[in-house]
Amino acid sequence: MNEVETIFNISLKARFGDLKLDLEYKGSKHVLGVFGVSGAGKTTFLECLAGLRKVMSGQIAVAGEIWLDTETNCFVRTEKRYVGYVPQDHLLFPHKNVRGNLEAGKARAVESGPDFQSVLKKVVAVLELEPLLDRSIDQLSGGERQRVSLGRALCSGPKLLLLDEPLASLDLPLRRKILPFLIRTKEAFELPMVVVSHNPTELQVLCDEVLILENGRNVMVGSPNELFTSDSLFEVAKQHGFENVFSGAIIEKSDQVDRLSLSGKDGEISIQIPATDALVGDRVLASIGSDNVLIGLEQPRGLSARNCLSATISRIENAGTRWLVHSVVADAVSDFVVEVTSDAIEALQLESGARIYLVFKTSSVSTLTG
Amino acid sequence: MPTIYETISSTLLWAVLASLIVAVPGLAIAYLLARREFLGKKVLSTFTTLPLVLPPTAVGYLLLRLFADDGWLGRERIGFDLDIILSWKAVVIACSIMSFPIFVRTARVAFEEVNPRLERMGRTLGMGRQKVFLSITLPLASRGLIAATLLGFTRALGEFGATIILAGNIPGRTQTLASALFSAQQSGNEALANQLLGVALLVGFIAVYTTERLASKRSSRKEQAG
Repeated sequence: MNEVETIFNISLKARFGDLKLDLEYKGSKHVLGVFGVSGAGKTTFLECLAGLRKVMSGQIAVAGEIWLDTETNCFVRTEKRYVGYVPQDHLLFPHKNVRGNLEAGKARAVESGPDFQSVLKKVVAVLELEPLLDRSIDQLSGGERQRVSLGRALCSGPKLLLLDEPLASLDLPLRRKILPFLIRTKEAFELPMVVVSHNPTELQVLCDEVLILENGRNVMVGSPNELFTSDSLFEVAKQHGFENVFSGAIIEKSDQVDRLSLSGKDGEISIQIPATDALVGDRVLASIGSDNVLIGLEQPRGLSARNCLSATISRIENAGTRWLVHSVVADAVSDFVVEVTSDAIEALQLESGARIYLVFKTSSVSTLTG
Repeated sequence: MPTIYETISSTLLWAVLASLIVAVPGLAIAYLLARREFLGKKVLSTFTTLPLVLPPTAVGYLLLRLFADDGWLGRERIGFDLDIILSWKAVVIACSIMSFPIFVRTARVAFEEVNPRLERMGRTLGMGRQKVFLSITLPLASRGLIAATLLGFTRALGEFGATIILAGNIPGRTQTLASALFSAQQSGNEALANQLLGVALLVGFIAVYTTERLASKRSSRKEQAG
């Protein structure tokens, strides 16, 4: 077996005003999420990675390249770190049009190897920027600006992409439009990424591993689902919109509803969701709140709810004032989390390994994309 | 006697020269004051503003002392004669010193108005400090810098107090629009004084009006960018 390549090797100690940053992280996952409430130091952490802030002591190595090592006095300047930084407020250059913005990092991109024109072409195609190329920045909508900002970073030959709250400045409908571009970026460019967000759902969708920041310290690291349903974090995560997220392909469409296949095999496990703009075959992300699902011990009959999935309880955990039942629907489907009261656990005698039915209404499913 | 056109054209030429001389150190100091923190920043800022608040005649006298034979830049000190006093060079030097503060102050505001986060964005895109300055800071500050140049130019154009002390008021040699107007008024030549006044009004109006237009365009662009 090949040794797993370490992508991020970070240890930082720094003080900026009231914020004391003190964290260590080593990981081999491509996409790292950083979750925390406002003021936890998320943006500061990104700025340290980008070399925009001086660190008192620490090391930063990304994909084998050392950018900072205070012990050996090594400090690679921002412009030599090959990071693509997408700030929350896009920060496009107002004196350049869209094409000018995309070409702003051309010199470094050319230096870093791949043919710039083909990269530009790929970025324009993936982010659907063709119709915007000759527009000035003030002619762009919020979502378009975010896409151009992402495109500008991708065109600069980055070896690491830093996304700071990529969707926070957008309203809900726009987030749904931009999220697929982020997913496409992740899939098409296969770059190591660090995504900062205070929205658990975004991190669930985009990240392989999440680091929880609290007052500048990383208090937890783990898979998004595992972390956001943990005892200490569930309340906060739910407040910021934690939901069960599923990826699937549309297999059937009608006027009011679509059918979404969750497992790979011929739509063996599928759910009904409200109609989307997606076409049959398109991949769609759907989510459902953990408090919007009922648990039955038998397959229910005569209910208006259109979705009933057979599942097996994998574990039951206490999360603050609630209990969370984790269940597995199928191998390919991510863990399904349902909130219940302790009464319900007792009455139904729920325990690990028990077979249950998950019941929910079509209308309580929301689509994150499409 | 030089014609009115000769007076005007030499005044314009000297003001242009003064603006060019001011531009390079002025830009550097304005950028430093806008973007860097360093020891003595307030002292530097005060020194560059001094000619704006001192009586121009005091500045002229100071320059006269500086270039006098026994002054710091005089013949006895440096070993040769710079031949400044009462020459066209004196006009240009007096105009440069007097327009320096207004150029630096306006250019400093122009630099300060450029969002420093845009400059940092440039660095994440692989640009070194010099390239960030040339391709982000300078173009974004350009309207303000043009306004600074225009204001500095008009200040040089209208300079009187320092010039008359350092360069005198020699028709055909060191006489400027301002000193010619003074002479015309003193000698009772109202027709000439009126003509010179008209020219001064016209040039001043064009310069300030252009500055105003640039400033309004700048603020509307800032709103859009925000």
